[in-house]
Amino acid sequence: MVEQRHKPGVSPEWIQEQLSGFADLEHRKLQASSDEAELLYIKSVTDGQSISQAVIAPFYEMDSGEAYGAYLGGLPGSHTEVDGKQALELMLGGSACIRSGSRIFICELPKAEAGAVRETVTESVSQGPSDALGEDLTVNLNLIRRRYQSAQLKLEMTVIGNISRTKTAILYDESRVDHRVLAELKERLDTLQIDVLQAAGELDKYISGDKVRIFPKTIVTERPDRVVFNLAEGKVAVMLDTAGYAIILPAIFNDFFTAMDDKIHLPVVGRFLKLLRILGVVLTLWLPALYVAFTSYNPEIVRVQIALLIAGSRATVPYPSFVEVLIMLLMMEFLTEASLRLPRAIGPTATTVGGLILGQAATAAGLVGNIMIILVSVVAISNFMIPLNMMSFSIRVLKYFFILAAIATGLVGVVCCLVGFTAYLCSQRSFGQPYFKLFALESAGSGKKGSGEK
Amino acid sequence: MTKNRYYFWLILMNSLINIVNFVPRELIDGRFTGAQASIPLAVAAGTLLTLLFTAVIRKFPGMGVPEIFTATLPKFTVPPLLMVFGLLWCIAGLITLLSFVDITLRFISPDTGPLLVLISFLAVVCFSVRIDSHSLLYTLEMMLGISLPLIVYATIKAVMTPSFCWDSVLQTFTYSLHAPNWHSFLASTFSFSGYINLAIFNRVFQQLKLKPFHFVLVALQGLVVLLLSLFVPIGFFGTAAVEKHIYTWFSTADSIRIETFIIERMLFIFYMAYLTLSLVSIIIHWHVGKELLLSLFPAPKRKAAKARKWQEASILAGFCAAAVILMRLDQYELNTFGVIFLDVRWYGEIALLLLLLYCYAVTRRRSL
Repeated sequence: MVEQRHKPGVSPEWIQEQLSGFADLEHRKLQASSDEAELLYIKSVTDGQSISQAVIAPFYEMDSGEAYGAYLGGLPGSHTEVDGKQALELMLGGSACIRSGSRIFICELPKAEAGAVRETVTESVSQGPSDALGEDLTVNLNLIRRRYQSAQLKLEMTVIGNISRTKTAILYDESRVDHRVLAELKERLDTLQIDVLQAAGELDKYISGDKVRIFPKTIVTERPDRVVFNLAEGKVAVMLDTAGYAIILPAIFNDFFTAMDDKIHLPVVGRFLKLLRILGVVLTLWLPALYVAFTSYNPEIVRVQIALLIAGSRATVPYPSFVEVLIMLLMMEFLTEASLRLPRAIGPTATTVGGLILGQAATAAGLVGNIMIILVSVVAISNFMIPLNMMSFSIRVLKYFFILAAIATGLVGVVCCLVGFTAYLCSQRSFGQPYFKLFALESAGSGKKGSGEK
Repeated sequence: MTKNRYYFWLILMNSLINIVNFVPRELIDGRFTGAQASIPLAVAAGTLLTLLFTAVIRKFPGMGVPEIFTATLPKFTVPPLLMVFGLLWCIAGLITLLSFVDITLRFISPDTGPLLVLISFLAVVCFSVRIDSHSLLYTLEMMLGISLPLIVYATIKAVMTPSFCWDSVLQTFTYSLHAPNWHSFLASTFSFSGYINLAIFNRVFQQLKLKPFHFVLVALQGLVVLLLSLFVPIGFFGTAAVEKHIYTWFSTADSIRIETFIIERMLFIFYMAYLTLSLVSIIIHWHVGKELLLSLFPAPKRKAAKARKWQEASILAGFCAAAVILMRLDQYELNTFGVIFLDVRWYGEIALLLLLLYCYAVTRRRSL
């Protein structure tokens, strides 16, 4: 066989240097009596079984290094003449780099986790990838690495929890990440003293710092494509073994209203959908409060026909409007919570009993007005238009503040509440980034990190 | 860093808020005695002041007035000066607050107790005043984003209404050649005094780069707002009857009917827009006032947070107490109070500008 000189530069050392900061990089030296070989691969994207069967076992079975070299050269998907760029691409795509003697082989032994991956449950999209992060960290890393094949994607591993010893992976794109955020995150993780850590949302609670919080400051997601998208925007992802969800930080208010299928749709449609979501938030926050304000304080604000309509539908209702609103909203919250806990087989019962019978009977009995029922349904439905659960829950709680303000001083209270919460949101920082800003998207898009959003 | 546009928002906020602070009243009172001629003069003077003040304070990047004063002026002069300016800002917020409480009681909820309305305003304001300057600018931008479209809509709707009497407006224009009126002039310059908030907000503007174009914009928006705030009520109520209203603009908004919306009276949309804007304006003014007064206290050395909180709380308690006490003023007194403030404010602005020029001269001399 003609001695092939490998291109200068491509060597396991060189690759290792390029892939520094990869906690899942495996570097092995194989030593037999006369020969030795070197093996380098990324654990999360290569198939460990194939490596031991096709690469390691033959090394010990073959007589000489030359025979082993010939064997590797003949392996399907093996490359010998590659330049640095190709070599990196191959490595990131799931190859092992083997040095036997003076020769370098790069053999494709990719791992694609398919069997163990479940489908998304909490963040479904209409047309798009449906893989969800699982509870196994290596599977998750495989899912991410396959979608983000860059040597800049660094991975650091730590362990959190004195008892649970939860393996934690910190992922970030070195060239795009804000290093101050990264340093702050590491510092907070280092000072974290807890016994048991079992869920991603829990970690969010510990690292965000503030005692009283209404709004989430990290995204908890189960979608690998969301993780990848955010990594490309320069954010940091933290993944836990056994958690099933990743958290992404820093997250600003706007991020919670981006669904992953916004980019699938045509631009106009995408904008429209986003607008719908914001409208949904406005409705779910304001409708009950405005109902109280309009019926109890300022009926003259709305058109006289509407005022009469509301008054007509409330003719039989024996208590003030805010009692009506609170009763119906609480009913709705009970239904939401109950249908979450119920076994799947009985689930529909709750909706039937709650939605149909209760709604109908309550109005027929004159306990609540018809309009109130419509309003509660609007509030409930529009609340769940928010793509990320954490935010949707925050908004769910927030609307009661607005109702309380409306009970206290009517329309004035609602507007005061709006100003107060805007000021509060603006004062928040997520790892040093302003949480709430007009034109937040524009400023994020014009920066150098904008390549994730296209 | 903070961008230039926030500087513009500060000016725009003050400019829009003028209709709550009795500026249209002063203009309308002078409509036969030279208000028309004072407006262009005020635009020139206001833009000039804005230009000068910005130019001076830019020489102290990242510094607020307290820092500049302590660095350059003799020790014993600093506390009284800061005290006076702090009180001026406090009063600026107070007038907006009190007149808005009055507007609320008169137009929106006459049944609600005045104290309840005042307390709910104070609660929001005191909560938000303590937020850092950066975030307040974001809040201001957000609130302008909500209220500005509504205000523009209300104004366009007003001018487009068929019952808008252009003849009255034209008739008022026939008094344009009357020599300018000092009070109307002072009142109109209020529209430009948004820049003065830089006294504290300059701390967050690191590189404020302003081109001549920006000042043209400042002048233009001031001119448009002033002309509108004088002439739209006249178009609605007529040349003579317009003086019978205290809150001229809210009465104007109450005269507009929206034919095709679930809210029929423009007043409520206008009120909501102005309520948000006024609250933000009070917050910004009191924030500046609070920061000025706060610098009177010795800076706590360590474990700063707690002592600082108490100082803040005591200042704000003072502000709130002033608000509650001044609630006793009736409408007429409040109006007089507001007009006096409009005059005093002008001299205060000039004084601050001169002081800063002096400070700049001192630093120049020192550095030579």
